[in-house]
Amino acid sequence: MRSSRNTALAMAGVLSLGLLAACGQGGGQGAATTSAAPGDEKVTITVAGLLPGAEQDAVDALDKRVTEFEAKYPNITVEPQEYQWLATTFAANLAGGTLPTVFEIPVTDGKTLIENGQLADIDAQVKALPYADQFNDAVVANAKGADGKFYAVPAKSFYSVALHYNRNLFTQAGLDPDKPPTTWDEVRKDAKIIHDKTGVYGYGMMALDNAGGWQLTAAANSRGGVVQKTNADGTYTATLDDPAVAKHLEWLKALRWEDNSIYPDGTLGWAEINQAFGGGQLAMYTSGSDVYTALVQNQALTADWGYGLTAIPTENGGGALGGGTLAAVKVQATDAEKDAAVKWIDFWYLSKLLDEGQAVADAKINFGNGQAVGTPVLPIFSQEQWTTSMGWIKDYVNVPLKDMTGYTDKMFSQKLIGEPSASTQDTYALLFPIVQAVLSDQNANVDTLLAAANTQGQALLDQS
Amino acid sequence: MTSAPVPARTARRRAAERATRSAVSDVEWRRPRVRTFWRNVHLALLVLLVVWCIGPLLLLMKFAVTPTQDILSTPLAVFPHGMAWDNLSAAWNDVHVSRYFINSVILAGGSWVAQIVVATSAAYVLSVLRPAWAKYLNAGVLVTLFVPSVVLLVPLYLVIVNPPLIGTSLVDTYWGVWLPAGASAFNVVIVTRFFDNLPREVFEAARVDGAGPFRLFWSVVLPMSKPILGVVSVFAVIASWKDFLWPLLVLHNPNLQPLSVRLPSLQATTDMGVLMAALAIATLLPVVMFLIFQKTFLSGVGLGGAVKG
Amino acid sequence: MHSDDAARSGTRRSPGRPVQVELADPDGPVREARGAGGAPVTPARRHTPATWVRGGGLSSLVFALPAVFAFGLFAWLPIGRAFVMSFQKTNLFTSTWVGLDNFQHVFADPVLPIAVRNTLWFALLALVFGYPVPLIGAVLMNEVRRAKGLYSALAYLPVVVPPVVAVLLWKFFYDPRPTGVFNTILGWFGIGPVLWLQNAHIVMPSLVLEATWAAAGGTVIIYLAALTGVSGELYDAAEVDGASIWRKIWHVTLPQLRGILFVTLILQVIGTAQVFLEPYLFTGGGPNNATVTVLLLIYRYAFGNSLGGKYGEATALSLMLAVVLAVLSVVYFRLTRRWSTS
Repeated sequence: MRSSRNTALAMAGVLSLGLLAACGQGGGQGAATTSAAPGDEKVTITVAGLLPGAEQDAVDALDKRVTEFEAKYPNITVEPQEYQWLATTFAANLAGGTLPTVFEIPVTDGKTLIENGQLADIDAQVKALPYADQFNDAVVANAKGADGKFYAVPAKSFYSVALHYNRNLFTQAGLDPDKPPTTWDEVRKDAKIIHDKTGVYGYGMMALDNAGGWQLTAAANSRGGVVQKTNADGTYTATLDDPAVAKHLEWLKALRWEDNSIYPDGTLGWAEINQAFGGGQLAMYTSGSDVYTALVQNQALTADWGYGLTAIPTENGGGALGGGTLAAVKVQATDAEKDAAVKWIDFWYLSKLLDEGQAVADAKINFGNGQAVGTPVLPIFSQEQWTTSMGWIKDYVNVPLKDMTGYTDKMFSQKLIGEPSASTQDTYALLFPIVQAVLSDQNANVDTLLAAANTQGQALLDQS
Repeated sequence: MTSAPVPARTARRRAAERATRSAVSDVEWRRPRVRTFWRNVHLALLVLLVVWCIGPLLLLMKFAVTPTQDILSTPLAVFPHGMAWDNLSAAWNDVHVSRYFINSVILAGGSWVAQIVVATSAAYVLSVLRPAWAKYLNAGVLVTLFVPSVVLLVPLYLVIVNPPLIGTSLVDTYWGVWLPAGASAFNVVIVTRFFDNLPREVFEAARVDGAGPFRLFWSVVLPMSKPILGVVSVFAVIASWKDFLWPLLVLHNPNLQPLSVRLPSLQATTDMGVLMAALAIATLLPVVMFLIFQKTFLSGVGLGGAVKG
Repeated sequence: MHSDDAARSGTRRSPGRPVQVELADPDGPVREARGAGGAPVTPARRHTPATWVRGGGLSSLVFALPAVFAFGLFAWLPIGRAFVMSFQKTNLFTSTWVGLDNFQHVFADPVLPIAVRNTLWFALLALVFGYPVPLIGAVLMNEVRRAKGLYSALAYLPVVVPPVVAVLLWKFFYDPRPTGVFNTILGWFGIGPVLWLQNAHIVMPSLVLEATWAAAGGTVIIYLAALTGVSGELYDAAEVDGASIWRKIWHVTLPQLRGILFVTLILQVIGTAQVFLEPYLFTGGGPNNATVTVLLLIYRYAFGNSLGGKYGEATALSLMLAVVLAVLSVVYFRLTRRWSTS
């Protein structure tokens, strides 16, 4: 380097440039809502459409629905955009303004986004809908802000965590596929029998990423424990060291090191475990109850493949962890856009649950593409409404409902537990390494690991 | 084992015969024991290289046309159940590897243009035009060479999300990948060095003929720079083809993603055989380019060593 | 780098050329004016915008524009912002100054010492596996009499393979079941299946093995290029003194390579300290954070959360890493300068 003086000058220049720019950038993208007279004027909105790479039939179907909607509301133009919610990309899309006007978020993110003022206030528009007060309490909690106003709408895919099992492997191992296990001890016993008799691992556990923490939380919930408590004053307490969590980790440890009946790979994520299951490499696992749809889409499962679904085993007053997807509107939307957006939400997501014509149209299209129709999901409205809407589409149902009675018999009566309200993803992030440790290290000390995680978890909750 | 002292006259002649030589002299090479020893060493080295370097790639090619079951249960067996050529067509069509391949090509093309434009114009200023402020530009460029890329990761990402001059977000656009690729200090340094070594007479002659700076650049400097432009191009294309983290952060829409970003996310939803075929397709272009442009590659790598030294 | 003289005079005079005064030259009548002795003569003139344009000022700016735009927006600005952001808490919409909070959070993170330890472990292993081997290979290859290009091509081939392909391929090789590729090979020797990526003790060496496969070829080529620069006379002189082949290699080849060896060592350390791809794709940081490196931690801070990452902590950690590497480099160069001149 010839001249260190020039370098120093250059660095100073670079630094001051950065300072100037950074200070000037503080504003970023502020919320700007201009009020314009809604209703009559022409307005265009972009909406979350299908997953990228969706089949052409599904795209055509969506376009048909869009045409129907535009016929009903001639002043609104709808442009669907391919959409996929990913933890790593959502925040940037939100800030960069590349989200559609109507987008989807998981229920767990609703609260924080509302608190941060990143979702539009659509209270007036939602309350104008006839069913605004008919939402199931459990699903609507995270769609409203602390002020009780609607900032998002429960839209789709409401699930509770359930146990998926391979009926063929049960039969091969001499177990009755119509009598799946109902307690965790039975799961362990059955997993061992399956492994001993068929050589296939009896159970699998997610551990790759936050999904592993999600499933551990679900298991803890099913054993009567929780990983987080809301205090009366609105703060939160981390309870990652709840005995139910430890008990389940010890249970996983026993399956791994004593029975050798659990898939030993600690790198199964949500999609990988589906793949392993669909490939016949493990016999049982827990995941959202609506996973069958994905199994059809990605592993080409058919109704006669041998898929079975039953409720997650519970003990000690435990329940099933539930979640779902909300639809929300960009905070920068104008009033006219918000009106149009809520009308679209009503039409696309909810009308098929409330209107027979829409329900049948939707089912027909999915059936025609060989997609799953009738996968059990939790009702967004009341149970009666759900039963009615299932009746409308019964001619198109192509999922093996008779093999899912273990779940459908209990799905309404079982206790539903929401995901942790605060720092959800961070909490899961603290839990999944412990699952990995238990699966990879025979001497992992569950209590120490949980205690350390809990301290961190509490620190996170105190920070936010 | 020591050799007999070589007479000075012979040593001088030898030195003249081979201007560059290695540790083993020609004299020693003529001795059978030396020759055999080294031949054996080289043979062993060759075998080792073939197994170590090509082995995995051969396996990849084999897996690409093997049925999934065979890959999973007997990976090292030689086609016990025949070959599965449809892995390749499944990868190209069903998994849309063709689309991601084209995305990689588009990304590589744009990055190449950005790098060539920035490197040649900057080197022209620094080496030929040399205004008074050139040394500040030079220092500024060199500073970035010494800053580890980790520092840039997050703030550059935020710049892409909210670029100051441009207005709209560059997320999910190819510009978000092309434009930052242009800011390569290494390119500027090697092109500047090359320009420095160009004979000034030609420039003077052109100026005499009335060429302005633009004509000089376009018609004189650039045509003379083909070797260095070749090196920069080859490296630009290969670097873009291999790039992973940056396109991962910038391109969220799977339709825009190149192979390097898309392949890992296909892992969980794709048959192993088809995945292997996709990996093989992704490897093909850089390997073929390397085999064709070997000399340019290897000379460029040597250059890289010289710059850092 | 051009010499000081040339820079100061602004143009390089070609030796032997007679004096030229080009009044018709649109570039710069001033610059070309020369006195009889060849020394530059600058006649007095007014500096107006016109003369500046004619002096080539405008065209210089135009040519500098792409570089200034690219570096300004995508290099200098981010570097500056990195400093600023490490003292702020930002959620992409607004930023607030929080002083040293970010640094405190980073130091308080229990994963930080694990990440540092893992990174050092990776760098050390990479040095052990990947530093001597290319050198030995290059020295041996340098003696090849026929088809030397074949050896270079073979060695460099893994380097052109896209890293993602290499990692996914090796991930399959490392399959823990007995039918995994490496476990099958071990099976031939009667060794049981190894949990390459699941055993916290073996996982890092597994990663380093793949990383070495993918990168060693480049180092071999650099060494080969440097080896051709070793002056033949030194070998001749050594032979005159009666040195054997191995003595020549030890006393001539290696010392001559000292410069490049020092540089590649520090470059390798700096490069492996920033390793991201292997841990991310092989294990995502597992099992139980056994492969979390500093870069992976930065990535998790910034991009791991769907609600907007901890950008302040991420930049704070990046800066800390950069400072450590800078200090390391300075210390290293001081030490080696003393060593190579002694």
